[in-house]
Amino acid sequence: MITIPVAKKRAKETLVGFPPRVTAAYLNVAETGSPESLDIAVLGVLHFYLAKKPAEPLDTLPGTTRLVEDLGCDSLTMMDSVFMMESLFDIKINDLELSRLATLDELRAHLRQLVKVGAVPAT
Amino acid sequence: MVAPRIVISGLGFVTSIGNDRASVSASLRELRSGIGSYDFFPGTDLPVKVAGTIKGFDTSALQWAGWTWPDGYGIKQEILRGMAPHGLYALCAVEQLIADGRLTTDELASDETGLFCGSAGSPRLMRSYLNQIHDSQGLRVPPMGIVSAIAGTLNFNLAAHLGVRGAVAGFSSACASTTQALGYAFDEIRLGRLRRVLVVGGEDLNTDAIFPFQGMRALSRNPDPARASRPFDRDRDGFVGTGGSVALLLEDAEAARARGATIYADMLGWGQSADGQSIAGSDPEGRGLVRAMRRALAASSVAPAEINYVNAHATSTPAGDASEAQALRAVFTEVGAHPQVSSTKALTGHGLSLSGVMETGFCAVSIAEGFIPGAANLENPDPACIGLNLPRTTLPVAPRTVLKNSSGFGGCNVCVVLRRCDK
Repeated sequence: MITIPVAKKRAKETLVGFPPRVTAAYLNVAETGSPESLDIAVLGVLHFYLAKKPAEPLDTLPGTTRLVEDLGCDSLTMMDSVFMMESLFDIKINDLELSRLATLDELRAHLRQLVKVGAVPAT
Repeated sequence: MVAPRIVISGLGFVTSIGNDRASVSASLRELRSGIGSYDFFPGTDLPVKVAGTIKGFDTSALQWAGWTWPDGYGIKQEILRGMAPHGLYALCAVEQLIADGRLTTDELASDETGLFCGSAGSPRLMRSYLNQIHDSQGLRVPPMGIVSAIAGTLNFNLAAHLGVRGAVAGFSSACASTTQALGYAFDEIRLGRLRRVLVVGGEDLNTDAIFPFQGMRALSRNPDPARASRPFDRDRDGFVGTGGSVALLLEDAEAARARGATIYADMLGWGQSADGQSIAGSDPEGRGLVRAMRRALAASSVAPAEINYVNAHATSTPAGDASEAQALRAVFTEVGAHPQVSSTKALTGHGLSLSGVMETGFCAVSIAEGFIPGAANLENPDPACIGLNLPRTTLPVAPRTVLKNSSGFGGCNVCVVLRRCDK
């Protein structure tokens, strides 16, 4: 888990233009390790890079929503999102595993696994 | 087959002297400078203190999501993700061009529409991306780094955004890039391969884009924004950098007329040459530029005496302006021709690869609206200019035939000839 000061610095430097709700969720992940906040942050990042954005936040859509077919997530969107998630959470998303993520539920679950939410937050 | 008439039928401007055609026209008429104080490294006292600033935009954030632009444009923020700051300027200039030229989405995406661009890329974004890569020892590689930072960034992004299918190309001949783009666009239309080409130039306006020219001592050290850029003046001491974007629609006249577009001017022809001498400097005697001007005039079937106005390349560097002055005397003065000559870089600063299409756009406005921009800031003409007509003020005279000169690194010289559209 990233420390709170690091998270604050990254939020300021890299989450430029992101909705406050997403930034708050990201900071809350660092503070509490909340899996629900991680979901909001991760899907908020994906939403930010989608060329055609749904009107509602992605975390309010059904978990079975497909990344490519339903959201129009192209390779550049995916690469931008992955780069941002890796930068925010100090993780590495494996190419092979990435290619197997097809739905919002699968993306959420994979990120929960990588970020190890629920662990005792660092200070 | 009769060669088609080729015309300028749409314009868009984001420049230091105005962000639309009306304000650009007013600045050219009134010789209003777009140059202001610019702090290249805040907190220092470097000798270079001015730039041709772009108003109404803020691209100071490294992330595209932090950029802002004037109201009234239909730009969706997410399309900026692969762009450099000058990509944002270009989107605005192209949006103006589309409205001005009455282009439809179908015409833009037609097989007969091309896009030719010139830009140096974005040194600032490139620096940021390479730093991330090196700092992380290869573990963090920004996905959009290449397409937003290298010299083709304008053509990559605009072609995709506009859905251009006829042809797309980027030109990288430094300060002659977009004049060369105009020339090749002209040929593509003349050969019947395309009916129209959007020619777009753009440059960032920031320290990384401009300050490196200080290494050659090419930038003016004059701290006075109103007087630093003074082409052909005895006391000139270098150029003033600027950025921005200009979009120009070059088109088969029939297609433009059928759409009811405003026709600013005909493009009659173009010519180019190479000095074959220096990496960066012009031939001191201007011989390469002489060849380019003569080729442009010959290709356009225009005699030197028919040229009413020359929009010079003159950037305000001691060597470059003297070289061009000699070339102009050889082509015009020595055969008894005396066109008016000015360099609008006195007002804008030097837009590098943007400058050719920017100044051709200025010529188109001058022709259509009936005036010749004066040689601003010219107090004591360089002795090399003896015999040249350098009007100190704007002349309320409609030029019929105009020559636009450009020269770039590598000894690249490119000239285009425009003529007023006879009704």
